Amino acid sequence: MEYIVETNQLTKQFGKEKAVDGVEIRIPKGEIYGFLGPNGAGKTTTIRMLLGLMRPSSGSVHLFGKDLKNNRIAILKRVGSLVENPSYYPHLTAYENLEAIRKIVDVPRARMKEVLKLVRLQDAANKKVKGFSLGMKQRLGIAAALLHQPELLILDEPTNGLDPSGIIEMRKLIKQLPEKYGITVVISSHLLSEVDQMATTVGVISKGKMIFQDSIEAMRRIAQASIHLRVNDPKAVHQALLVYGQKADIKENSVAIQTTADEEVASIVQYLVEQGFAIYRVEEEKRSLENIFLEMTKEEQIR
Amino acid sequence: MILRLLAVDFLKIRRKGLWLLTFIGPIGVVALQMVNYGVRKDYLFSLTDDHWQQYIGNVSAFTPLAIILGIVILTSFMASIEDETNAWKQLIALPVSKREVYLSKFTMISCLLFVSSIILLLMTYFYGLTLGLGEDIPYLQIIQYSLLPFFASLPVLGLQLWLATVCTNQAIPTTVGVISVIFAYSAMYLPDWVIWKWPSLDNQWDQPYLNGLMGIAMGLAIYLIGMTDFKRRDVK
Repeated sequence: MEYIVETNQLTKQFGKEKAVDGVEIRIPKGEIYGFLGPNGAGKTTTIRMLLGLMRPSSGSVHLFGKDLKNNRIAILKRVGSLVENPSYYPHLTAYENLEAIRKIVDVPRARMKEVLKLVRLQDAANKKVKGFSLGMKQRLGIAAALLHQPELLILDEPTNGLDPSGIIEMRKLIKQLPEKYGITVVISSHLLSEVDQMATTVGVISKGKMIFQDSIEAMRRIAQASIHLRVNDPKAVHQALLVYGQKADIKENSVAIQTTADEEVASIVQYLVEQGFAIYRVEEEKRSLENIFLEMTKEEQIR
Repeated sequence: MILRLLAVDFLKIRRKGLWLLTFIGPIGVVALQMVNYGVRKDYLFSLTDDHWQQYIGNVSAFTPLAIILGIVILTSFMASIEDETNAWKQLIALPVSKREVYLSKFTMISCLLFVSSIILLLMTYFYGLTLGLGEDIPYLQIIQYSLLPFFASLPVLGLQLWLATVCTNQAIPTTVGVISVIFAYSAMYLPDWVIWKWPSLDNQWDQPYLNGLMGIAMGLAIYLIGMTDFKRRDVK
């Protein structure tokens, strides 16, 4: 299988600390790859190495099957990127900002109008970027990344600092890229919910190490929400549920069940009520990425 | 590619006042002499018979100071444009060679300084004409004292550009810049091998050309060191 992005034992060391440690990324064509990890896990460092902004301490990066070390310019011609906060020149207009990139990547002027329209900034084209909202700056960054019709788009925390409507808009924009233009997208985030709605493949990095890399379905199974029942007698409820044939865990003063399907929850609650238990709360608890990380790293240690 | 990068660099300095500085520098240097000659022309004329020589000497007393100050301000301005939103990471992630990015910055500032020097040449000549300094116009000397300081200050440009591009803390190039200006101001007390003395065109052999030639050679060397270091470094 040919991968658009492939890293081998990618490592970056700052002093004694390994910010990225033996990371192996495999991204097939046309995927939206969600690159997850808490802050400081090594996401941005990895992405910087993918773009040739940083040199790996050891290991290699192959994009489009070519070694980045020896083919940096040829490879970067096919890659668009937005790293961390958007970079722009505040004293220039949106149009001039794109022009500064267009001259380097050498595409026709008409393309600038196209990308501005794509991110719905055509009306602000001649305004200075200084006065833009964060969402507009972020969109301008995406427009700049798409200017030279890249085959691979690398976005580092593209929804950071955006308001909910901005996030939804960004998500819509990113989702259509693989279908419409055949672009492979790498998108990093520290929010599982964020990636969950876009990504087709997920990689999780923690403390510089890749601890999970699989399809989003596999990730969802791990991240599944659970229902917590607060009841008068957790132990008895636990027993009753086992008799009913439902797996359950006892928490401090509640019982947790793994299923979230509406009918199942309803019938379980009905069953418990019929058994004479008092139910105070039925709560859904979504597991935070943090918890999943903890579990994943725990599993890692056990193995 | 380098021409396209250069065009981009000139686009980026729009509305930032860099061109204004380019013009103000040489105008300021000659304007000082306008004051000098406006106030005490008769006294100055009474000191010597070679009025052109004296006039060129007066103008060129401030040229090194202006050019070094110009280098410090232009390089740190240029760096601040890229640093402001950390545009370096966007620029270097484009299909460009880092060497060419550095060369383009060096070339852009050299262009601005050269334009400054040409303006100085024209201003020196035309204001000199209005003073009635005599029939024998020393064209060669006017050209020498306007353009040679530019070449002689290339090592300082190399150094300041290097510091301004690789230091994330702009206090470092600024501090070195302040020291540079002080050195340029006290050029006459410095030994010949100190690069900050060179723009004064003063040396023990009385050969202004020597400073220009040394400037080009040393400027090239420092430029190559700076470029190699810039290429080697990770982009923050």
